[in-house]
Amino acid sequence: MFPIYKKELQSFFYTPFAYAIAALFMLLFTYMIGGAVSNIQESNTLKFSFVEIFYNVTLYFIFLIPILTMRTFADERKFGTEVLLMTSPVSVLKIVLSKFLANITVFLFMLAGTLIFPIITAINGTVVVSQLICAYVGIFAWGSMFIALGMLISSFTENSIIAAIIGEIVMFAVLFLDDFANSAFISQFPKLQSVLYAFAAQPRFAYFSQGFIRLSDLIFFVSAVIVFLAWTYISIEKRRWNRG
Amino acid sequence: MITIENLTKYYGHNRAVNDISFTINDNEILGFLGPNGAGKSTTMNMITGYLPMSGGKVTINDTDITESPVKAKKNIGYLPEIPPVYPDMKVTEYLDFCAGLKGIKGKEKKMETERVMKLLGIKDVSGKLIRNLSKGYKQRVGFAQALLGDPKFLILDEPTVGLDPNQVVEVRNLIKSLGKEHSVIFSSHILSEVSAVCDRVVIINKGEIRAIDTIENLEKPFRESLTLHIKAAGNKAVAAALIGATEGVSEITEAEDEGNNISSFIVQLSGDAEQVQDKIAAEFLKNQLSILEIYTDKPSLEKVFTELINRPVQKKSLAELMDEVIPENSSADDSDDAQEEKEEDDE
Repeated sequence: MFPIYKKELQSFFYTPFAYAIAALFMLLFTYMIGGAVSNIQESNTLKFSFVEIFYNVTLYFIFLIPILTMRTFADERKFGTEVLLMTSPVSVLKIVLSKFLANITVFLFMLAGTLIFPIITAINGTVVVSQLICAYVGIFAWGSMFIALGMLISSFTENSIIAAIIGEIVMFAVLFLDDFANSAFISQFPKLQSVLYAFAAQPRFAYFSQGFIRLSDLIFFVSAVIVFLAWTYISIEKRRWNRG
Repeated sequence: MITIENLTKYYGHNRAVNDISFTINDNEILGFLGPNGAGKSTTMNMITGYLPMSGGKVTINDTDITESPVKAKKNIGYLPEIPPVYPDMKVTEYLDFCAGLKGIKGKEKKMETERVMKLLGIKDVSGKLIRNLSKGYKQRVGFAQALLGDPKFLILDEPTVGLDPNQVVEVRNLIKSLGKEHSVIFSSHILSEVSAVCDRVVIINKGEIRAIDTIENLEKPFRESLTLHIKAAGNKAVAAALIGATEGVSEITEAEDEGNNISSFIVQLSGDAEQVQDKIAAEFLKNQLSILEIYTDKPSLEKVFTELINRPVQKKSLAELMDEVIPENSSADDSDDAQEEKEEDDE
């Protein structure tokens, strides 16, 4: 399992890919922080929190995560290297897991850059550490789910650009699922609304950003990761059967 | 030993491989010969466990590839048709990764990568990005990958494609030397290659086996009726009479005057070619005629190949086909479907 993980990391970090995506994310994140900081004078200082910013930053992640995951399986197929992995004595499940871990690692690398702002704040003032930890746990859980989803979409196609575009669309849909559930139209069907709401990730993520770690939310994200990874596994196996 | 039993593969309604069975013995080089699209790659993909089979069974050293794939795959080195290389990796990185995939660890890993790079002669490009390599080098890097960990069975899908003539010879020699301690299956549509390297040949076309045998045995049936070409200087009538009187000659099919007192004959033989040649030569000497040329037409491998590939497969009777398609206790409705299916297959 480790060789695949290592190879994936090499493909991210020996190329400008990981740095470029992390830099882009930092740019967007800094823009958000800058906006929040400049608003401080006008309003209550208490309103400013990193946690809020994480909640707002998810929209940018929706653009970046499919770009991170688009190559995961699409490129293996495009270069014909899928054969190498499939005929080596490593099970498909391990391949999926190691690729997931590698993507998570890059995601953590992207997140690590954002730590600079709490650190600067801590030097010159105070940071509510417990809340900050909640926010990071939340964004990590939330990101893991979308990475697993992105990998699933990458396993459907051999064109990484298409994987990215479909990824954006699907993730947008998931992101706005709760807004959709709250819409006037869906409100007419309370049962449907409650079902949709149960699948919405955003309200659960909001709890993390408010400084709550609820077991049910953690279980939601963990099960989502498991479902998407299992689906990825099935999608790869299924494609082997249908090939031709 | 690899055993392949009744291997079948359908792509949708299209039958790519139909019920083929053969075995690969230890330390044997088996050629897998067939025209493009014959099902060679599909079969190899199934043997190595990349594609699941629609029916049949592949066992590698008594391990079923579908039942315990990880264990079975440990014994296999596979070079697919398109070398499975990552363009943005260096050769050493790539081989290091592949060695890791095969569970080779620590010091051994480095030794193994060094060993295979030496075998394939790719040491001089070891620091280069694979995307910058020529096709021949990519092919060799792919081959090197298959040799990592010294697997008992090597499955090579057209390993010499894209190599220059020098490299082709090198790779052939390599395969030959590998055959001493490994079992090698290698596919090709180039006959001379297969005959130069292989102990046995499996010829397939349209997903069905046409022949499994040694090259010699395959040629045999085509040797029975031999043609002898003779070019002689001297009187044409005398020469013709001499040839006609020789034992083992069934008829002279062509006699041509080439001028300058030279004539050439094409003779059908019924007896042993060498004996007839000796006799004719002796007779000619006695009668002071000289032979300028004498040779027999050996069936060319190409001829053997095309004959074998194009010879009609023994058609199964409709009843047999029906038995295959429908399980015994099925209803009448099913049999209609089956007939439709059969018709589609025939198309």
